[in-house]
Amino acid sequence: MAVIETDQLAKSYRVYRKKEGLGASLAGLFRREYREVEAVRGIDLRVEEGEFVAFLGPNGAGKTTTLKLLSGVITPTAGTARVLGHVPWRRENAYRRRFALVMGQKNQLWWDLPAAESFRLHQEIYCIERDRFGQTCHELCEMLGVEHLLGQPVRELSLGERMRMELIAALLHSPEVLFLDEPTIGLDVVAQHTIQQFLREYQRLRRVTILLTSHYMRDVAALCRRVVIIAAGRIIYDGPLDGITGHFSGQKIVSLQLADGEMPTGLERLGEVLESRPPKVRICVPRGEVTRVLTHIFAHCAVQDVSVEDPPLDAVIAEVFSRS
Amino acid sequence: MITRPATYWTVLFISLQERLVYRGEFAMSTLMRFLPIITQIFLWQAIFSAIEVERGSETIAGYTFHGMIAYYLLTTISRAFSSMPGLASGIARDIRDGTVKKFLIQPIDMVSFLLVRRLAHKLVYYMVALGPFALVFFLFRGFFEGWPEPHVFAGFVLSLLLAFLLGFFLEATLGMIGFWFLEVTSLMFVYMLLNFFFSGHMFPIDLLPGIWGDLVRLLPLQYLAYFPAAVFLGRVSGPALAAGLATQFAWVVFFAVAARVAFHFGVRRYSGFGG
Amino acid sequence: MDNRGLSQFSQHGDPRPNQPPGDAAKTGLSPSAPPAPLRPSYTRVAYTFLRNSLVRDMTFRANFLIDTISSMVWVLMNLGFYVLIFEYTPMIGAGTGWGKYQFFLFLGTTLIINSLTRGLFLANAIELSEHIRNGTLDFILLKPIDTQFLVSLGRIEWSALGPLGFGLVLMLHSFGQLGYAPGPVTVVLYVFYLACGCAIYYSLMIAMSSTAIWFGRNRSLLDFWFYITNFSRYPMEIYRGPWGDPLRWTFTFLVPVLVAVNIPARMLVRPLDVRTAADWTLPVFTIVATLAGLAVSRWVFQRALLSYRSASS
Repeated sequence: MAVIETDQLAKSYRVYRKKEGLGASLAGLFRREYREVEAVRGIDLRVEEGEFVAFLGPNGAGKTTTLKLLSGVITPTAGTARVLGHVPWRRENAYRRRFALVMGQKNQLWWDLPAAESFRLHQEIYCIERDRFGQTCHELCEMLGVEHLLGQPVRELSLGERMRMELIAALLHSPEVLFLDEPTIGLDVVAQHTIQQFLREYQRLRRVTILLTSHYMRDVAALCRRVVIIAAGRIIYDGPLDGITGHFSGQKIVSLQLADGEMPTGLERLGEVLESRPPKVRICVPRGEVTRVLTHIFAHCAVQDVSVEDPPLDAVIAEVFSRS
Repeated sequence: MITRPATYWTVLFISLQERLVYRGEFAMSTLMRFLPIITQIFLWQAIFSAIEVERGSETIAGYTFHGMIAYYLLTTISRAFSSMPGLASGIARDIRDGTVKKFLIQPIDMVSFLLVRRLAHKLVYYMVALGPFALVFFLFRGFFEGWPEPHVFAGFVLSLLLAFLLGFFLEATLGMIGFWFLEVTSLMFVYMLLNFFFSGHMFPIDLLPGIWGDLVRLLPLQYLAYFPAAVFLGRVSGPALAAGLATQFAWVVFFAVAARVAFHFGVRRYSGFGG
Repeated sequence: MDNRGLSQFSQHGDPRPNQPPGDAAKTGLSPSAPPAPLRPSYTRVAYTFLRNSLVRDMTFRANFLIDTISSMVWVLMNLGFYVLIFEYTPMIGAGTGWGKYQFFLFLGTTLIINSLTRGLFLANAIELSEHIRNGTLDFILLKPIDTQFLVSLGRIEWSALGPLGFGLVLMLHSFGQLGYAPGPVTVVLYVFYLACGCAIYYSLMIAMSSTAIWFGRNRSLLDFWFYITNFSRYPMEIYRGPWGDPLRWTFTFLVPVLVAVNIPARMLVRPLDVRTAADWTLPVFTIVATLAGLAVSRWVFQRALLSYRSASS
């Protein structure tokens, strides 16, 4: 049985259109104009138990809205969803006890108190047995290396430390499904890496189902095999990470190491020349043309080494986003 | 000051626009400001009914029931001129977070800048508040004994304008304390309480007996609410009116100078610390 | 897949990184779902809130002290105003029976109800609109516990206790001046109606702050609260005449803030007497109003949650 299943899930908002200028501000006293924003327009998704799925998409594509719909924070305008067999927006306690949501840009810990106090509150709210709570807390703290910070007020922690505490707070009740909304946003590379490592390790041990949104390709590449790309509220790709390049990019990159420093002529007719610093040359070629191009090059120049690669993931994603 | 008048026009205009953005809140808060008066009317009605029955008297400290209510309504006008919400705390905040530095760099005088901004806030407030005020005074016109004589009314208007200036410079001076103490919120709260009770907002200060009344009459606070209302009601007239206005003016000058002096020494202390 | 992470975690001493799932069942990281009890203990959660709030207040001792002192100064100044009034009049309202010390019993009741509702709920009601604005209400909605409960009690202002203590002292002093002590039935009724009054205030507060979901920001909540409770600061008998009667009816039957303080205070000043209809109608109505208030505010809160759109990060 699928852990997450949605059918034509959609959400639209009514937004107040604000105008500039003194006159418009005055007019705004009496009348306001609204427009509909369709944040999510019909999403069909099926996630199996133990999957680690990345949600990618430009800002405003509907990633966060989808996560909020699945966690029951907001109610959809159309469509259905089931997570662990529950309809999320009914907000049944039985469901809320089984998942967690972590948002990189919002924090739930008590700002002025040590994180341990917030954890204890979670223990009460989620009815976690004392022994079990102590053990889970200890293990999570150890994995994230924050045990020594438990007694410090949250406001005195660094962003990275705070994010780790947020993760612990979300995991104390051992959720079966975890929604992560940009958990590494704003963190430096080292802190990002710590959280990635932790998530991978945690998922390996617990086999929880995880949905992750992130802006950092590094997160995605390190953690998820399956990627869902959302643009303008629709899923435009759903499949393995490696497939993105094949799916979206009809291009291959041919890198050449020439035997002599002499630059062959007519390369620009074969494809887009990305780099031409003899003896190194890189050309971007349509996928179907690779054989023809290579034949042509071998016929005309002395080549020491050659490689044919997919364009880097970041570049592909950027291209996909700019197209949508 | 080398600042051109045009600069102040721009400040005025931008501030006007800024204030208008907060729509509903504005009209609502203006109307709601009159709600406590309704309770006060009923409270005083009950008190006056009791003293009439029990003691056969119709006045308290020279106020009839109608006079008392007219007084409360008039103090709302005084307060509309003299209250400066957020002024002192705003200055203190600017000092704390360093925003105040821009006045040291830009060729604009902070006190004048704030005065013009406050003027804009007040103008917008009057634009929105004129309707509710007119309505309330029309509804409660029965509590007034008609318009005062022209020279009394002129004195009333003058005292209102001075109340605005006094309120501004007094709060500005308080805000400057932020140069010496970082946390002024509690101080502001104490000022607010004193102001509420001893400016005549809560009750006419003539009600205070003996030494208390004398003490409160020495404070500048009475010119923020009590004095304009008393002028309108004719409780201060002739030489007393002139003397009162002169004292009010003297307090304005005192605090205008105090604000600038405090700013001058505050900035010196500030830059001494390296900001 | 990249495996660099594992070695690091082993160094950190993850106790059972490679344990088979079956053996790990007792540990926190076991793959099986925990058999959790179905209902969290609301009293224990509330106690945790009380405790955490106290810990927070004690970390900011200076602020706590200032808050306590300034609310006390406010109370004292108000008391001063009433003392001043009673210099001029023996009673508030001819023939109403609200003499100086009767009124001070009323004032004490006002202080107790106000500080209880302020201390327990007002900060939360204000915070609710903040939660809505920032979108942090999300976290509250995720918790497997009643959302309204969590929203209403999240933080407690201990500094509001000052006026409560002062109210009690004022009432004791007034009883002394009046020369009588209330009987046990009166005390029980008083406490009961005190609770009703708090519940009515609470309902109003939570219903008002829920509207922030529809109107976006709701900064004037505090002002609005001040203005509404302003009507219940005095005995309801003062609202009479062609304008007063409709006002009294409105704030008795439509928005029942008047009964919140008046009914418990009356229990002390004029012990319940069921001989005439007028004596028992309002107390009975107060119970109805309390229940209706709680029900309506819960309905408003739930309706508002349906429109919650969760501010984007």
